[in-house]
Amino acid sequence: MYKFAHMSDIHLGAHRDQILQELELTTFIKAMNKCVEHKVDFIIISGDFFHIGIPELSIVNKALRKMVEVKEKGIPIYVIYGSHDYTPTGTSIIDLLETAGIITNIVKWQMKDKKLHLSFTTDKITGAKITGILARKNGLESKYYERLDKQNLEQTDGFKIFMFHSGITEFKPTYLTEMDSIPISCFPKGFNYYAGGHIHEKGKFKLPGYKNVIFPGTLFTGYGRDIEATVKGETRGFYLVSFDDAVKKIEFIELKSFDGKYFEFDANGKNSVQAFKDIQEKLKTLDVTDKVVILKIRGELSGGKTADINFTELKSNLLEKGALHVYLNRYSLTSKDYSSIQVIGNDTSTIERKMFKENIGTIKLSQKHLKGEAGSKLATELLEVLRQEVKVGESKREYLNKIQSNGRLVLKLNEIFEEEIN
Amino acid sequence: MSKELDTAGQVIGGQVASILIRQKSGNKLELGELLAVDENEDSYLILQVFNLFYGSQIPQSARELAAGLNLEGVQSGLDFMDPKLRNYILAEVKAIARITKGIAKVPKILPSFFSSVRYATKNDLKFIATETKSPVYLGNIRSGSKILDISLYLDGEDFFTHHVLIPATTGRGKSNLVKVLLWSALDQGKFGILVLDSHDEYYGRNTIGLKNHPKVNKNMLYYSTNAPTGANTLVINLKTLEPKHFEGIISFTDAQEQAISIYRKQYKENWIEQIILGTEDDTVNPKTLLVLQRKLRIALGVSVLDDEIICGNEVFSITAGESTIRSIIGSLEKGKIVVIDTSRLGDEAELLIGSIIANEIFYRYKEAKGKGELTEKPVISIIIEEAPRVLSVEKIEQGGNIYSTIAREGRKFKVGLIAITQLTSIIPRMILTNMNTKIILGNEMATERNAVIESAAQDLSDESRTIARLDKGEAIVSSIFTRFAVPIYTPLFEEFIKKKDNFDTSEENLIL
Repeated sequence: MYKFAHMSDIHLGAHRDQILQELELTTFIKAMNKCVEHKVDFIIISGDFFHIGIPELSIVNKALRKMVEVKEKGIPIYVIYGSHDYTPTGTSIIDLLETAGIITNIVKWQMKDKKLHLSFTTDKITGAKITGILARKNGLESKYYERLDKQNLEQTDGFKIFMFHSGITEFKPTYLTEMDSIPISCFPKGFNYYAGGHIHEKGKFKLPGYKNVIFPGTLFTGYGRDIEATVKGETRGFYLVSFDDAVKKIEFIELKSFDGKYFEFDANGKNSVQAFKDIQEKLKTLDVTDKVVILKIRGELSGGKTADINFTELKSNLLEKGALHVYLNRYSLTSKDYSSIQVIGNDTSTIERKMFKENIGTIKLSQKHLKGEAGSKLATELLEVLRQEVKVGESKREYLNKIQSNGRLVLKLNEIFEEEIN
Repeated sequence: MSKELDTAGQVIGGQVASILIRQKSGNKLELGELLAVDENEDSYLILQVFNLFYGSQIPQSARELAAGLNLEGVQSGLDFMDPKLRNYILAEVKAIARITKGIAKVPKILPSFFSSVRYATKNDLKFIATETKSPVYLGNIRSGSKILDISLYLDGEDFFTHHVLIPATTGRGKSNLVKVLLWSALDQGKFGILVLDSHDEYYGRNTIGLKNHPKVNKNMLYYSTNAPTGANTLVINLKTLEPKHFEGIISFTDAQEQAISIYRKQYKENWIEQIILGTEDDTVNPKTLLVLQRKLRIALGVSVLDDEIICGNEVFSITAGESTIRSIIGSLEKGKIVVIDTSRLGDEAELLIGSIIANEIFYRYKEAKGKGELTEKPVISIIIEEAPRVLSVEKIEQGGNIYSTIAREGRKFKVGLIAITQLTSIIPRMILTNMNTKIILGNEMATERNAVIESAAQDLSDESRTIARLDKGEAIVSSIFTRFAVPIYTPLFEEFIKKKDNFDTSEENLIL
């Protein structure tokens, strides 16, 4: 019996906070240790290994050390590009690691007769045949699926794994309904295992023709929403799969990275002063030592400004009480006195999307793709590009080039896809 | 064409609802034919033939004798003197519109006695082709069996919200009509239309269909349990089902309803799963649970094996399909057409899926109206085939369902129904009256014709024979949005789309 580990969305380098950054790295190291402990034959990472295409080198260095150790034990690591691994220049840390022989990018393809033909990478020890499709920013990979030659893949014999980094329409959780996704009908049928990434929540699915469609979820936490979900009880880790000529067992290996404390306060009907006092009082009794704390304040204040609640002070108090990290969520807090905040949501991206959607109608636009739903989507994506910060060691010129290049990509001024395909 | 040749006949008598016309010799008036009588330069009447019979100046006995002489060879070649003058065709017609300076009104006068009657021309009928904001094509105007070069468009906003009834027997062109209608709606992308396609005939899996529309990727979604590449697989998570979705689809006793309510409260979104698995509850009689378990298993096509729920019909799942209903609702709210292939499902499963979506749409739109947001939303229409399955007298007496609610109240909330049926007579009168547009296709059954006629927007009491004789593709549109019951011909879908410049037959025209 052979074994492999399936993980995804590790997002190394996602956090700026020192403590979370350390926890993130420790979790990755723990995961690698577990793989060695379980004597896996290989590891697959279904995209978003790193949070950005060219992450901080200190993070890469620490992760690399562990990967070298794993490789020296004869465990190959197979990866695909995730939506975060992509860079406009076409070269990311994934490519560097592959050139160094640390990992293997299994996506090998060629265009022939307007069809995308994929090749398999065969694992030397187990004979498992691995192929898959990389992800692109903004769900652009849907073009690859449209042109995929499925027949050849379906006719190949052996134990087959299909790696991908996209949401699947039929398996999307409710809160991701509006996310771009690929219908399962675009995937080749009959693979033994479909190793998914991109969705940060774990899930095991099947439909006729598609056994074992698996998403391990994020290994640690890529976003604030992930931290909240983890604190609320979502377990994180990876899947350990035992197989010979078929999958025999799929087991989830849990990795607990931290203890969490979730605190939610309903400010509805209270004025800002009252609400602040009440929150302070309630937080006093909370045991937060060595815990990641989620402080969620929601509702509509009957008076005063939302800014009257001193969030910085609340956060400092919790850190003084020994909290490891405090994540503040006040996106669903509004005030009757001030109508400037007109949309509420669970996270920044939802709020931004809603804001754009609400305000886009007030601007006169002549081009169709800048209007309505399409326009608000474009604006959200552009904002994401503009939000990128200067990296350590990055020159002003490099930074500028990066922003311009990414901006052009979002605005579809570069026909990058066509260039790559042709 | 000279005025003389244009002349179809002359008014010779009759009364308001039955004007008698003598047909000019050499002409062939047809049932349903549209005629015109000029009043003056600015005004004319449109008449429609609803009955034809013989007239003669020669006594019946003389005619019988003449026929006998001819037939028995006693004196062959016998004819009457001035046969064109003495024997003729009489047509019973009714005035259906009076047009004054291009404006059509209900006629309240008779045409002048002995006035000349001519065939209605394209020009006479151009008032029908008024411009609308959101035109939906139904067919070309028809005069008898002649197809005129005037298209009948109704404004989609009005047409869809005010409910549509399509009554007809098999083989009279129902599916073709719906396909043409949907193609026309797809052009615009501003009507959310849910199609529960029980024969998988609209998408065009193996033939030409809606998938060939150039805007299909933008304006349409297709769901099937056996989805072709690019389409969505129809799978619905059991967690998305609510007790209200079963109303009028599956009948439960009071005790069973009470048990459902207990499980819903106790297990929240997992209520169905727990009932199907047979998880006992102290407050529910085990016998009630068993019956409930059986009913739900049959309706949902699921079974239990080693404490695991197995979904037999592949539509319902306990893991997949969490966002399916939301996606469908979202697409409808964006003015897209959603075609669901239910051809592999049982009746109950199909109706249940329709009920889930219809419930969500109706209550979301109702809420939107309360918040003053309804004006921004597109009209949504639900096409339900074999409508009596949910709209019959019997079903409504059992307590009604979401479809009857929509039929009664949907118009206020921009939600409409397109009910297709062979059996109009078993749909309650009140619901039929609410169906403000009826596209009447041929029907040989008098009972069914009468049910349609009695609830039509216009007086069709003389049209029974015409309806019985409607050929494939021919229809009469009786609507509160037309001045009169308009005879139309809906072209064959394949012919219709060939005329469109933007028809796309490429295999790469995938839905994504």
